Amino acid sequence: MVKKNIFLEVLFYLLIIAIAIYLIFPFYWALISALKTENELVQTPASFIPNYPTLINFKAVLSNPDFLRGMVNSLIIAVTTTLFSLVFGSFAGYALGKLRFRGRKPALYLILAMTMFPQVAILSGLFTLIRFVKDIPNSVGFLSWLYIPTPALLIAMYMIFTLPFTVWVLTSFFKGLPQSLLQAAQVDGATFFQTFWHVLLPLTAPALVTTGILAFINAWNEYLFALTFTLQEPSSRTVPVAISQLSGKIARQEPVGEIMAGALIITVPLIILVLVFQNRIVEGLTAGSVKG
Amino acid sequence: MAKETSKLAKKEERMAFWLLVPSLLLLLIIAIYPLGRVFQLSFTNKRFASSQQVSYLGFKNYSQLLSMTIRELPKKLDDDGKAILKDGKVVYESWVRVLPRKPQRYKAVNQFSFLGKRYVLGATNADFIQSIIDTVNFTIITVLLETILGLIIALALAKKFIGRGLMRTAMLIPWAIITVVSSLIWEWMLKSDRSGFFNAFFDAIGITQGNTVFLVDKALQLPSIIAIDVWKTTPFMALLLLAGLATIPKELYEAAEVDGANKIRQFFSITLPLLAPTLTVALIFRTLDALRVFDLFQIIFGEKRYSMATFTQFTLVANKDMGLSSAASVIIFFIIFLFAMFYIRTLKVDADG
Repeated sequence: MVKKNIFLEVLFYLLIIAIAIYLIFPFYWALISALKTENELVQTPASFIPNYPTLINFKAVLSNPDFLRGMVNSLIIAVTTTLFSLVFGSFAGYALGKLRFRGRKPALYLILAMTMFPQVAILSGLFTLIRFVKDIPNSVGFLSWLYIPTPALLIAMYMIFTLPFTVWVLTSFFKGLPQSLLQAAQVDGATFFQTFWHVLLPLTAPALVTTGILAFINAWNEYLFALTFTLQEPSSRTVPVAISQLSGKIARQEPVGEIMAGALIITVPLIILVLVFQNRIVEGLTAGSVKG
Repeated sequence: MAKETSKLAKKEERMAFWLLVPSLLLLLIIAIYPLGRVFQLSFTNKRFASSQQVSYLGFKNYSQLLSMTIRELPKKLDDDGKAILKDGKVVYESWVRVLPRKPQRYKAVNQFSFLGKRYVLGATNADFIQSIIDTVNFTIITVLLETILGLIIALALAKKFIGRGLMRTAMLIPWAIITVVSSLIWEWMLKSDRSGFFNAFFDAIGITQGNTVFLVDKALQLPSIIAIDVWKTTPFMALLLLAGLATIPKELYEAAEVDGANKIRQFFSITLPLLAPTLTVALIFRTLDALRVFDLFQIIFGEKRYSMATFTQFTLVANKDMGLSSAASVIIFFIIFLFAMFYIRTLKVDADG
């Protein structure tokens, strides 16, 4: 056996500790900033531990209607986007992964190409599409009662990036399920849909959880569409937009303390989610990009 | 029997069709149709939220965005016809004097020296050309740094050590923080006085005076934003590479050990070649992502400095120039499309299986 070199061992642990500090430090800085008073925030040099820790920033941001509305909007939009992606995605994933049909290959290529679709490239096109959709109640007589809320449009747009990824991962997952299951079900006289619904879908539960979490995180993160399409409609803003435009109540200048408090509030649930499902997430990320 | 099978195959085909309809229809409406509209709009002078008559301009938007020229900058001469020197350096004429003003006005993007002569790169839309240069530089440097650092972290984490599980968890934190939030946190850390972490820290250890304007100084803007992206994305890269490392059979290393190959040799003859597929995919995957960068530039720089994506968004939303923004979109689309084709080629999609 190779004799262990104590010096190298210590060096290795120092490297690990350095990496850990590097990864966590900005998060720590946000935390202490959120706990500082307004005076301490502008104090130079900055203190590394708050002198008079206070929760005033958290209280302020939690009573900020823009921020709260952003939280609610984001939650609704991200959850709905995730559910739709999973339903549509598992349908398509089953078809592409397990069924034989003409045009399967082009469809697969299309989905893969769509996972790399640059959202910014269709911004102006989406503007005209939204104008058209919003105008439907005015132009189509019998639909005049219809009201199309902006969040619903955002949900549809978020599927541009959540759906192809979901389909792609679920396709490779379905493909991995043994063909014998399919045949056994067919021998029992099950239709393709019954096979999908009763036999294959329960088996894909782990993959659904993984892709669901990733879709949720991506939708929760989205900024470009949310910023662009809620410009004239502050009540539809999602939380990333709300926090980037936070104007403080107590602070005279940029409300850094409140922004940091808000940052922590929207990040902590996500971090908990990530910690609970960390193995699944790593699996999903690698399934999406490594396996292919 | 044969008839039975073909009937079943037909049924299967119909089933597949109906299962794919929702996804394909949705993508057609929200992605393909708008893309078509963008192509169409890119040839017009359409303005956003305006009733002005729309007319077709041909390729005018494109030529406005992409027209470039390189001119030599003459040396500034004094009355005797000698070059003026300032602090021992040659002084050149202003670019305003050499760049054409007709039919469209050119502005300087940057200057460079080549074979002892000074040149200026001018463009009719200097912001857009600058945004392409910045985005490409940003992409190359971040992807390179993230790959190297990610590889180092992955190799470290592939070993068994106390607290390994904890470390893997910590790696997901930067990735889990939404980009807008991490940009805001870093913007605050990079504040221009010592109330910001970096200035306080650099001042305390005596490197600077503690008043570096990281986000305003043109020379420090890109390095700052690169540092933020590297922090956010390196762990993600490391996790991908770690997954790749896990697929390399341990026996190979044992065999190499027996053959007397040292660790460095093992790295170059086993680890690197076997990690190459993962590495390639991760590289291209990240490149595509970096080329689209929006959140980071939008939060940190606003309209001070553009990425390709923020330029397009500002042209549309702030300048309301739908035609020009669409043309920029098309150009971005083609740049990313080329990378994506390369990506699909590399992946060699297993569509027959």
